[in-house]
Amino acid sequence: MKEKMKLSDIGVVLFMYAVCAYFYTQNLQLKPESQTYPRFTIILLFALTTMYLVKMLIQAFKNGVHKGKDEAFKDFQPAQFFVSLALVVLYVVMINFIGFYIATFIFMTLLLLYLKVPKLHALIAVVAIMLLIYLAFGLFLKVKLPEGVWLKPLLKQLR
Amino acid sequence: MLQTLAQMGAGFLNALTPINLLLMAAGVAMGIVIGCMPGLSAAMGVALMLPMTFTMKPETGLIVLGAIYCGAIFGGSISAILIHTPGTPASAATAIEGYQMTLQGKAGKALFTASYASFWGGLLSCISLYFFAPLLAQLTLKFMSAEYFWLSIFGLTIIAGVAGKSLLKGLMSGALGLLLSTIGLDPILGAKRFMFGQAYFAEGINTTCALIGLFSMSQVFILAEKKITERAQAAKVTDKMSLTREERRIIRPTIFRSWIIGNLIGILPGAGASIACFLGYNTSKQFSKHKEKFGRGSIEGVAGSEAANNAVTGGSLIPTLTLGIPGESVTAVLMGGLVIQGLTPGPELFGKYAPMTYTFFAGFVLVQFFMLGIGLLGCKGFAQISRLSDAILIPCVTVLCVVGSYAIHKNMLDIVVMLIFGVLGYLMRKFDLNTAAVVLALILGPIGEKGLRNALRISEGNISILFSSVVCWVLIALCIVGIVSPFLMAKMEKKAEADAVAGTDEDLGKLTEEDSV
Repeated sequence: MKEKMKLSDIGVVLFMYAVCAYFYTQNLQLKPESQTYPRFTIILLFALTTMYLVKMLIQAFKNGVHKGKDEAFKDFQPAQFFVSLALVVLYVVMINFIGFYIATFIFMTLLLLYLKVPKLHALIAVVAIMLLIYLAFGLFLKVKLPEGVWLKPLLKQLR
Repeated sequence: MLQTLAQMGAGFLNALTPINLLLMAAGVAMGIVIGCMPGLSAAMGVALMLPMTFTMKPETGLIVLGAIYCGAIFGGSISAILIHTPGTPASAATAIEGYQMTLQGKAGKALFTASYASFWGGLLSCISLYFFAPLLAQLTLKFMSAEYFWLSIFGLTIIAGVAGKSLLKGLMSGALGLLLSTIGLDPILGAKRFMFGQAYFAEGINTTCALIGLFSMSQVFILAEKKITERAQAAKVTDKMSLTREERRIIRPTIFRSWIIGNLIGILPGAGASIACFLGYNTSKQFSKHKEKFGRGSIEGVAGSEAANNAVTGGSLIPTLTLGIPGESVTAVLMGGLVIQGLTPGPELFGKYAPMTYTFFAGFVLVQFFMLGIGLLGCKGFAQISRLSDAILIPCVTVLCVVGSYAIHKNMLDIVVMLIFGVLGYLMRKFDLNTAAVVLALILGPIGEKGLRNALRISEGNISILFSSVVCWVLIALCIVGIVSPFLMAKMEKKAEADAVAGTDEDLGKLTEEDSV
């Protein structure tokens, strides 16, 4: 079957051109000797993107166009995806304030319950992962995980 | 020669420490768990476990990563046999015969065959690793700055064609990675470049965080976007897990042939275990004296596929350790582990760092024994784990990604970088761009830049220095081969896959006709 141009690829091309444009303007602010190699990589990315754009246009004229987005995001569950993404971002932010272990407990519990995991399974998963991290990173690798700026003074007093 | 033998022996002595043995067992078990879960891949598992190896000795860290790699490739066969869903693409051909055997109540026999063939495939692949890797590494002694520049370009052309649908998009991904690799201090002049006003970026983008984001975090987003469904119940193993002496005799030549196939495929950049399993399966069918059993649960089919995909592991380490050119995503991640430990692929690994390298090789041999033992003893349990819902995997993998990226420098910005690369990796996978090419470009970019700039400094800006030696021309020719090879590999894979499916359908057709008569 002849390959049609994917409309979604326009986004890919625009993204690559935007990256080239950003790095190009930033590159101009560097010392002349430091500009050469980044310029080489910018030109390389620009040339390859342009080649891909030409290929897309040839495909569009010869075989037509189709929405690549539908293919890429088939069976996409928007609510589930964006809630999960938001919780992940919130989790990373909260680690800074309430510390790794408490943030992990809250994040895992909320996400597991949102994804409709039975409560007992969720509890086992939370306990197992936290235990694994404590044993592997806390005891074995001796990595001090973030305590959180809000809890640090309290923990200091307790010690 | 004697010195090499002594180093090989010393490698075994070093590898046989209690901590190494314990970590080998843990790595293999972890790899099998990752491999048998259809949502997770070997590259993802190795990337996720990478930070845990930082505080270990380099050889121990590499042994753990090698154990996860081997375990994951084998683990895929468990779900392929018991739930007809290959855990990794490397076990796709195993599902054809393995599941037929399960339907006939021979799941134990199929699992034993898979473990036995995987063990021999992996073990035999170590032979070529021992003998070809030092020889190839000697070649790189002739490399100067210009050659290193071409070598990095060769690596990128190779990986650009791997695992992607479009070569041009693969090359674009590589170029994007090269551009991102320029973030940080200028390696020659020390001037700040594209650092977004953050001193954090002085040493460039943290490769490990990028690896975890591109391979593991992006997989979390892929799982989170799909409707969560329950996986099929794993079939019960009712028969004895063993093979008769006669059956072992039958599969012996199959394993031998698949070892050669898998090894060659592993050494060839651009190919991988998913191609090897189909080629191994097809070849076992071509040479079989019991062709009628194919499609109806043939132990030769299972052995052919499994020995070939595990033979890839040792083979694929050869170009990775000697030239710094990983042929597939998993070895790209493994190379990341090597570079992060401060080691450079090439002759140094077989000279200055020979004790470490030979300890790793010995560990890789021992890992095969652990794979056999743990595989045989635990496959019933692993089969149950393979049913673990994506709903549980999503938060668990996220937490491991977060803690893994933080553990490297104990810096919250590392988690942010990992998350950004996670989103980038997710979008790249959605639009058929190649995440492995970005990773490799991040690793090879600085090597290529130093090579190019040093060469131009020596020649006072004369570009002809890049074409001044035979080695340069050989590498340029290899770059062209690197661009062409993905087309050939894709054709080979399609043909092998079509042959396997067509052959099986034909056999089943005949079987139905016979039954109706």
